[in-house]
Amino acid sequence: MVDPTLSAAATASLEAAINKALHYDPATRLRLQALSGKSLAVELHEPLSGNKIPLCCHFDDDAIRISTHIDNPTTCLRGTLPGLLMLATSDRVNLADANVEAWGNTALLADIKTIASELDLDWEEAINEWLGDVAGHQLAEKARRQFRWLKARGQNGKRLLSEFLTEELRAIPSAAELQQFSAQVDDLRLAADRIQARVERLIASKQKLRPEHPHSSSQPKA
Amino acid sequence: MSEKKTTHFGFQEVPVEEKAGRVADVFHSVAGKYDLMNDLMSGGVHRLWKRFTIELSGVRRGHKVLDIAGGTGDLSYKFSKLVGPEGLVVLADINESMLRVGRDRLTDRGVAGNLVVSQADAQYLPFPDNTFDCITIAFGLRNVTDKDLALRSMLRVLKPGGRLLVLEFSKPQSELLSKAYDAYSFKLLPFMGKLVTNDADSYAYLAESIRMHPDQATLKNMMLDAGFANCEYHNMTGGIVALHRGTKP
Repeated sequence: MVDPTLSAAATASLEAAINKALHYDPATRLRLQALSGKSLAVELHEPLSGNKIPLCCHFDDDAIRISTHIDNPTTCLRGTLPGLLMLATSDRVNLADANVEAWGNTALLADIKTIASELDLDWEEAINEWLGDVAGHQLAEKARRQFRWLKARGQNGKRLLSEFLTEELRAIPSAAELQQFSAQVDDLRLAADRIQARVERLIASKQKLRPEHPHSSSQPKA
Repeated sequence: MSEKKTTHFGFQEVPVEEKAGRVADVFHSVAGKYDLMNDLMSGGVHRLWKRFTIELSGVRRGHKVLDIAGGTGDLSYKFSKLVGPEGLVVLADINESMLRVGRDRLTDRGVAGNLVVSQADAQYLPFPDNTFDCITIAFGLRNVTDKDLALRSMLRVLKPGGRLLVLEFSKPQSELLSKAYDAYSFKLLPFMGKLVTNDADSYAYLAESIRMHPDQATLKNMMLDAGFANCEYHNMTGGIVALHRGTKP
């Protein structure tokens, strides 16, 4: 078990970082006020070691508190790190096949997700605090241009790589081909299930027709 | 002829009625620089120990909290935010100098409305039965003359289901850490005390009183004997400090 001093240091640092970030997004802070008094407990499971890492988030009027202990949270989430990350980053709103379990008021999860998706940190303001308005703005403009360029290249590169692998190299199937293949596998599985059910029914009916003493001497020879 | 009852004051044996006065002298002497010394002595880690105590307290809006030996009001400040305007925090300490520093500090930080300051002896708490949802005593129990009496007094004023949290120095779990800690407490602490507060004796008492304080298992048994249920403890920083928690049945 982790020494509580270390876990307290970790949660204190995380809490300070989150609240510092929220300082640069007043709109999100305002939205979070609607969640005041509610709490979310997340229990992270490590399947290999069997360890459980609890992390709790309390929503106050003006800040978020992070801790490792909580009594009666509004909502509980339990799952593996990949499952929880998938849930946090994807657009999906249901927990089916996500390897994540939830208890309590699940509407809180939807609220948090909506608020997180609308997060818009004014990081230029953070830079301005250090460098001053003029230098900070120029640096932020440059960073924004670079980011836009990288984002465009990233999206374009992803599309081109995908087309090259599926169409030119034929190394991997396209999404449509994979979908068709999956559908065929499903059909095959259903057909196999039906055949198995028929065979079982035939075996059962054959056993019913079989006489009580199949090896007695009165049986006619074949 | 009746024998005079004695108790320990650090490594010395003193008459029972003298201990409170001697402890009071120690804290009158260090009150002004208490927080600075705490930060210096623990490297700021005492804030993490207190943070964990607040996590385990389960205090929420509307609760009534008693912070015994609250001194300069670290815990009371956090609790006053947690309980909100509809709750109540009582900052209690037997020592007037410490209480004055705590009260002024909390006033300066804008804490008002849900905070009451009370000069009180932990052994004879001046509150009605079943009053508080949570009681904390951080780095105070070892200075109390009769710890069993104090625990019973705390049990009395807690509501059924209420929690007592005792944050106190304890016994390091590793032999190596224990030796390093001894060297630090008996050599470096009095030196730092002399340097910052010009009072080496008070910090020599601090180190001695820590050694005389019951270890984790003994304190847990004392809490059970006093009538607390679900008693447990959490070692922190290798057992240098332990947080005991018990519930009033």
